[in-house]
Amino acid sequence: MNLILAVILRLAVWLLLAPLLPGIINKVKAWVAGRRGPPVLQLYYDLAKLWRKGVVLSTLASPGFIAGPAVAWVALLGAAMLMPLGPGGTALSFRGDVLLLIYLLALARFCTAWAAMETGSAFEGMGAAREVSYAVLAEAAIVTAVLSLSVQTGSVSLVTMLSPSAGAGAVLLAAGLFTVLLAENCRVPFDDPNTHLELTMIHEVMVLDHSGPPLAAILHGASVKLLLFAVLLIQAVLPLGALSAPAAAGALVAGVLAVTVGVGLVESWLARLAFRRVPLLLTTAFLLCLFALLVAWKGGAK
Amino acid sequence: MPGPLLLFAFAALVTGIVVGVRMSRLWLALTVAGTTAGFGAALMVLLGAADWEWRSGFSLGDELVHLRLDGVSALFLALLCVVGGAGAVYAREYWPEKHYPASAPRGRVWWSALVLSMGLVLTVSNGLHFLIVWELFAICAFFLITLDRQRREVRAAGWLYLAASHAGTMALFAFFSLLAARTGSWDLPGPMRERADLSSLFWLVLAGFGVKAGVFPLHIWLPSAHANAPSHVSAIMSGVAIKMGIYGIVRFSGWLPVPAAAGWVVIGLGATSALLGIAFAFAQNDFKRLLAYCSVENIGIILVGLGAALLALTHGDAVWGRLALAGALLHVWSHGAFKALLFFGAGSVLHATGTREMSRLGGLWRTMPWTAGLFALGSLAVSGLPPLNGFVSEWLVYLGLFDAVTSKGPSAWAALPAAIMLAMAGAMAMASFAKASAMIFLGAPRTQAAAHAHECGMGMRAPMLMLAGVCVGIGLAPILFWPAIRRAAGSWCPGWGAEETPAPLVALGSVHVALAVLILAAAAWLWRKAHTNGLRRGMTWDCGYATPYARMQYVSASFAGIVSGWFRWILQPERKIRRPRGHFPEEALRLERVPETVLERIIGPVSAAIMRVSTTVRQLQHGRLQFYILYVVAGLIALGVLVLLGGAP
Repeated sequence: MNLILAVILRLAVWLLLAPLLPGIINKVKAWVAGRRGPPVLQLYYDLAKLWRKGVVLSTLASPGFIAGPAVAWVALLGAAMLMPLGPGGTALSFRGDVLLLIYLLALARFCTAWAAMETGSAFEGMGAAREVSYAVLAEAAIVTAVLSLSVQTGSVSLVTMLSPSAGAGAVLLAAGLFTVLLAENCRVPFDDPNTHLELTMIHEVMVLDHSGPPLAAILHGASVKLLLFAVLLIQAVLPLGALSAPAAAGALVAGVLAVTVGVGLVESWLARLAFRRVPLLLTTAFLLCLFALLVAWKGGAK
Repeated sequence: MPGPLLLFAFAALVTGIVVGVRMSRLWLALTVAGTTAGFGAALMVLLGAADWEWRSGFSLGDELVHLRLDGVSALFLALLCVVGGAGAVYAREYWPEKHYPASAPRGRVWWSALVLSMGLVLTVSNGLHFLIVWELFAICAFFLITLDRQRREVRAAGWLYLAASHAGTMALFAFFSLLAARTGSWDLPGPMRERADLSSLFWLVLAGFGVKAGVFPLHIWLPSAHANAPSHVSAIMSGVAIKMGIYGIVRFSGWLPVPAAAGWVVIGLGATSALLGIAFAFAQNDFKRLLAYCSVENIGIILVGLGAALLALTHGDAVWGRLALAGALLHVWSHGAFKALLFFGAGSVLHATGTREMSRLGGLWRTMPWTAGLFALGSLAVSGLPPLNGFVSEWLVYLGLFDAVTSKGPSAWAALPAAIMLAMAGAMAMASFAKASAMIFLGAPRTQAAAHAHECGMGMRAPMLMLAGVCVGIGLAPILFWPAIRRAAGSWCPGWGAEETPAPLVALGSVHVALAVLILAAAAWLWRKAHTNGLRRGMTWDCGYATPYARMQYVSASFAGIVSGWFRWILQPERKIRRPRGHFPEEALRLERVPETVLERIIGPVSAAIMRVSTTVRQLQHGRLQFYILYVVAGLIALGVLVLLGGAP
């Protein structure tokens, strides 16, 4: 009974809090630009509206066009349920769950790319090609980051990997993971969610043809993914396991807010990179994680 | 008890060879019955405790026939029987008498012969007999690949396969002869790990079986053979035949001592095969070639697991080695199932449209919903995505590598890059299969042939459904398959077949079941919600362009453009570009093709040079007797000078 309650509670946290993050980012961007900006809860209003709307389907699209976003949403929520929440621990933990998490993110990516290709639009093909290609480097960076945490803690399950801090390499790891966060969630400088030129988009161009409830699932899934990466980054870097439960919870919330504000500031101050530079930046993220790994290796040998 | 079943399977397949030409129904019944019996025997060995062994009084080539089925060979035999039976059912509709009056009967006979010879490769326990059945297996495969031998490229692919295969067999001849010379007998009695003098023979094993397995620089025969063979043949070639190479490496690395560097070399070859194999796969425009190169990748994954196990063996810490070996062995089954499924799917597309070019297809889901769905399932499995079988086996390999890294021993320096390369290969496999399934099945049909495709019949659909069931089964209930894997690992290295599961397979399985249920529920829910809210069909938006047409879609080469740019140094793509000129350009063209780089840029030039040298030397042989006498005299004088200078021995 307790387990079911814990799962429901955890699910509620992820489902209800995730859409807050894009709102905060937009508020930060508006504040830096001296505008009032949309309300923080804008995404909630959008989701509620989309959920009630009808669907326009391309004449070329198969049922996979609607199944794709559904599967991606389940995969992202599944990944989120594996992620421990500071002092709250996790609903389910086993050796190797971190690999399941990485591959669930890949499943979500496959489904989004599949749904994009359904429409036969060249723009969406372009977006899907970019998404799956840049993922190669992003995945290398994530696995390297996870390896460095494993070396640090001698463990392959998320709860024990994430409770101590990343040690001396924490700064490198934080920089690497933050860059991956920006790439995986299609934020500036990798992608501009607000651009109006389809030729230059990645994620946004893949969902051009979606509408109504499937679009709501995609937008909500994207916000869950953003929260997931922010939680991962904070827990990887801060020694939450060493703090008392309320302090750890406070640190986690403050950390996630700091990351969100950081994303907003990066978006305000940087322009989107030219596409040929994107692999370079991702390689840099990979190298940062690799150096963090080497530091963890040397640090642990003492 | 496996004995009678194996005897029945043998008799059924031999009868199948005899009656296959005339009686296709009886042949099918015999092949299915034979493979089922073989499967039963393999299961008995895998789930039982004792190996099956039979030393007979018959002799062949002065050697007594000695058969044996232990955990390792039973694992491969089970896969052979599943794919062998499924392929026979598939072939009846895919390669029917009506369309191929000459080659269909031939195909049936060679099919039975191929299954039989592979089964014998797995059971014979005598070096000489192994070479005989190995050769038989290579020849059966050659005749199946060249079933459609009117076509020039099919013949070329067949010859290339035969040449490469024999190059490998030469290494195996050397290996078995040296083994027999050092042990004093052709008989393979089983584990001989204590004979340290045999360890250097491992390199011959790796080279000889590596060619058959399609390890990266030795894979040259594989893409063209898999692409040009009929699809049911590609399925058994890719699903099972290349695994015979893996079987050889697993078998003899388990029986013989290995040199200290073996683990390093195998894991290095594996990681290279995985990464470069999938890079080539992603750049292909021909979907069967893409599948073929993807086999190179999967062989790489298996070798990474095996290499880690060898490293663990030489460094004395068995625990993570067990995980990696279990992953490698399970991947043998996983890859066999999903790759056969994908090749069957590819065959169904080829059957319906007559083209292997992805850029000429598109939108096939409308006319071929079953094939599209099953191909999508296979794509998810081959990309290693949860909750299917590919993920389970790759996860085990990853766990082994991660544990090797956290143990911080010297092996960590091999495991670390291997884990990162596997991650990149996994992401690229996902990209390749997102491309393949999207180009073939989604969007608008790019040609008339694609628009008028038709779904395959039940005879082709049923084997695909069966293999899809295997993929889902291993994914959702991996623990059910654990006893078999444990048994095989125990045969490979005694003491590695411990009772407990070293990995939380039950937890993973239950998460997978939950995930599968939730995925189905969410998809149904969203589908219903979209329908109750009101669903309207409209043109693809395409950024406001009013008259989109099929050729505006992204094609295969453009989809892969970014990644093939990163791998340009090895892919060496050939480009043909005609840029649009003037204010009202009338034509523009951009063609991109990735050649068989290793074959055309390395092996080809080297062989041409050897041929040139040989032709020059051949001028010495012209048939004029007086010159030959001159050669002999010159030779004698040279020998005399040599003796005079060097002194008497």
